[in-house]
Amino acid sequence: MTDAAAPGRFLALHLPSLATDRLRRVEPELGDGLPLATWSSPGGRRVLLALDRAAAGAGLRPGQALADAQAIASDLVLRPADPEGDAAALHGLALWARRYSPITGLDPPDGLLLDITGCAHLRGGEAALLRDALDRLGRAGIAARGAVAGAAATAAALARGRLDNPVVDSGAEAAVTAPLPIGLALRLPRAVMQDLARLGLRRVRDLLDQPRAPLARRFGQDLLERLDTVTGRGRSPLRPVVPPPELTATRDCPEPIVTRAAIDAALDGLLDALRDRLEAAGLGTRHVTLLAWRVDGMIQQVAIGTGLASREPAHLRRLFDERLGRLEPGLGFERMALEARATERMAAGIQARLGLGGRDEGAGTAALAEVIDRLRQRVAVHRVLPVASHWPERSVAALDPHDAVPAAPAGWAAQPRPVLLLRRPAPLEVAGPGDGPPALLRLHGAAHRIRQVAGPARLEPEWWRDRARPERARRDYYRVELASGIRLWIFLDRAEGAPRWLLHGHLA
Amino acid sequence: MNVPLDREAVLASLRARVARLEGGGGPQHEAPVVPLCDGLPMPGLARGAVHEVLATSPGCGVAFCTVLLARTGGTVFWIAAGRDGTSAWPQGLAAFGLTPARLILVRAEGWVDALWAMEEVLRCPTVTGALLAVTGSPPGIDARLDLTATRRLQLAAEAGGALGLLLRPDTVAAAPTAASTRWRIGSLGGENGLDDPCWRLELLRMRGGRPGGPWAVTWRAAEGRLEPGRCDTDRAGSTAREALA
Repeated sequence: MTDAAAPGRFLALHLPSLATDRLRRVEPELGDGLPLATWSSPGGRRVLLALDRAAAGAGLRPGQALADAQAIASDLVLRPADPEGDAAALHGLALWARRYSPITGLDPPDGLLLDITGCAHLRGGEAALLRDALDRLGRAGIAARGAVAGAAATAAALARGRLDNPVVDSGAEAAVTAPLPIGLALRLPRAVMQDLARLGLRRVRDLLDQPRAPLARRFGQDLLERLDTVTGRGRSPLRPVVPPPELTATRDCPEPIVTRAAIDAALDGLLDALRDRLEAAGLGTRHVTLLAWRVDGMIQQVAIGTGLASREPAHLRRLFDERLGRLEPGLGFERMALEARATERMAAGIQARLGLGGRDEGAGTAALAEVIDRLRQRVAVHRVLPVASHWPERSVAALDPHDAVPAAPAGWAAQPRPVLLLRRPAPLEVAGPGDGPPALLRLHGAAHRIRQVAGPARLEPEWWRDRARPERARRDYYRVELASGIRLWIFLDRAEGAPRWLLHGHLA
Repeated sequence: MNVPLDREAVLASLRARVARLEGGGGPQHEAPVVPLCDGLPMPGLARGAVHEVLATSPGCGVAFCTVLLARTGGTVFWIAAGRDGTSAWPQGLAAFGLTPARLILVRAEGWVDALWAMEEVLRCPTVTGALLAVTGSPPGIDARLDLTATRRLQLAAEAGGALGLLLRPDTVAAAPTAASTRWRIGSLGGENGLDDPCWRLELLRMRGGRPGGPWAVTWRAAEGRLEPGRCDTDRAGSTAREALA
């Protein structure tokens, strides 16, 4: 059963003092050497949450009351805990770790998992890769331990339970995890751990020796599942923080690059490389992300999308042009990558999408799609979706410009409608004989005689759609021609109690 | 220079080069045109050029441009700038022949973006028509829509072959532009109903041609065509100019 597991290799990173390391990164002036801790107040009691090495060395432990801790270590520096900030930092580190593998996942609250299957040889082996990751984290001021194993949960348990950053062979999961303490390896709730300890079960090996059925009855199936994943018997899935790209191109920069010209040159090289790969695979892409790793460990992304699958470097390049200004190189980028997502078979995808056949039309639709892509970088672009509704504001909806426009519903354009519509109808003053047609109209302070009137056309609100907007009242629409020849579309809003006239559009 | 010169060949190539540089300045009737109206001395508006339309009232200008764009026969971009409170209404445009399937609406936040978008669109060979709407009268628009900007648009249209339209309100002093033609359109009210609008059309300026008009034209919605003459006059016997006089 052990051998049935996929022959993957996983690297786990454990960041024991992420919360305090993060604080020191943000505030470098926090006393060096002084113990640092974060606190929170669950249930009104203020207790320690996370400690750095110095605080732990001073005899403090998580869960201790704040007053006790301050009595033990009078020079303790305290900061309120920020769980969201810690989670965001962990997520950021998971993105950073994509320099080693495209598939990286979170192991909250303080761990990362990397699927390094087939990636290690690029870094000179698994041990060298692990050392490189730990070195880089260490230089960034983040304490870390790591392990490489044939299953993600095993690696995570080893990273927590051992201090020597081991690299273990696939298939030996049960053997290497057996001596680990249960609490560190399985990460059980405190109550379960105490119960197990009372029974004399302290190490993973002790549990493995027990018959399974009574364990499940006593402690639940969850315990056995955790045990199985850690010892490599069960599956331990890794959920990537970012879905893995379908094709990538990467480039390591020997010197950190800072200038826009250098970034442009690097991007050109990457686009050419990506084009070659897409072409070899017979694919085009609709979503390309540029990832840039900064020297100080930050990672920045710029994404573009195209309406039709493309692999043309010139076109993709122009789309990136508008966005590259958002990159902040700081001290420079040391590594850049392009990731292609949403890839499609090129030839088939385009024509099917636009509903157009024929070879010679392909070039035209591609040119149109390219100009739409370019426009969307700076301005709003949409097509018009005709909607079957008599209510004027609702008869038109926006559609993605790359989508095909369905046929208009019957009678959609049959009614006389204005060519220009006011987004918010403008108030008017209208005079007329009694309830009859209007004869005089006052707009923006000037009076206009009405020469011709057509109407009224009465529109009832769509009560089955307007439940949320009961203020919508029926409208009597008139088409009027002023003495100057101008034609307007006005309506009488028959709201309860206060009917009023409004200008809604300009007729031809 | 030791290469013997063929004077005739040199002259011919220079002439061709001048003609290329002048672009739309050549004889207009050679370029394919978008037909306008049968009875007028003008065959229509040239493709691959930018035309300016001054509208005395918003509705008739939009409708007139819609008729022209619909007659280009392909995909059409409608570019509006800023938030002026009105928007082209596709349901109304459809009555002038422009169906939603062929229409792409663009809204830019500022004038620079709108001009840029217009230029990009005009350069695309697949696009047959594009309109840049200057609705309302934003301050400083005459400064933006100057000779340089319109010259760029004109060159873009020549490169792409589309019909470019600049729709703007008829202000007292519209600054000169590099557009091929400048038209003015206004409403002529009728006395016989509100269905078929009647317009007063005037060619104010034309590069390499003479201004003309005013003419009266009527849009026949049922037949989908423009015809000369006022809607309420006897169509058979009177020319457009007489009808207006």
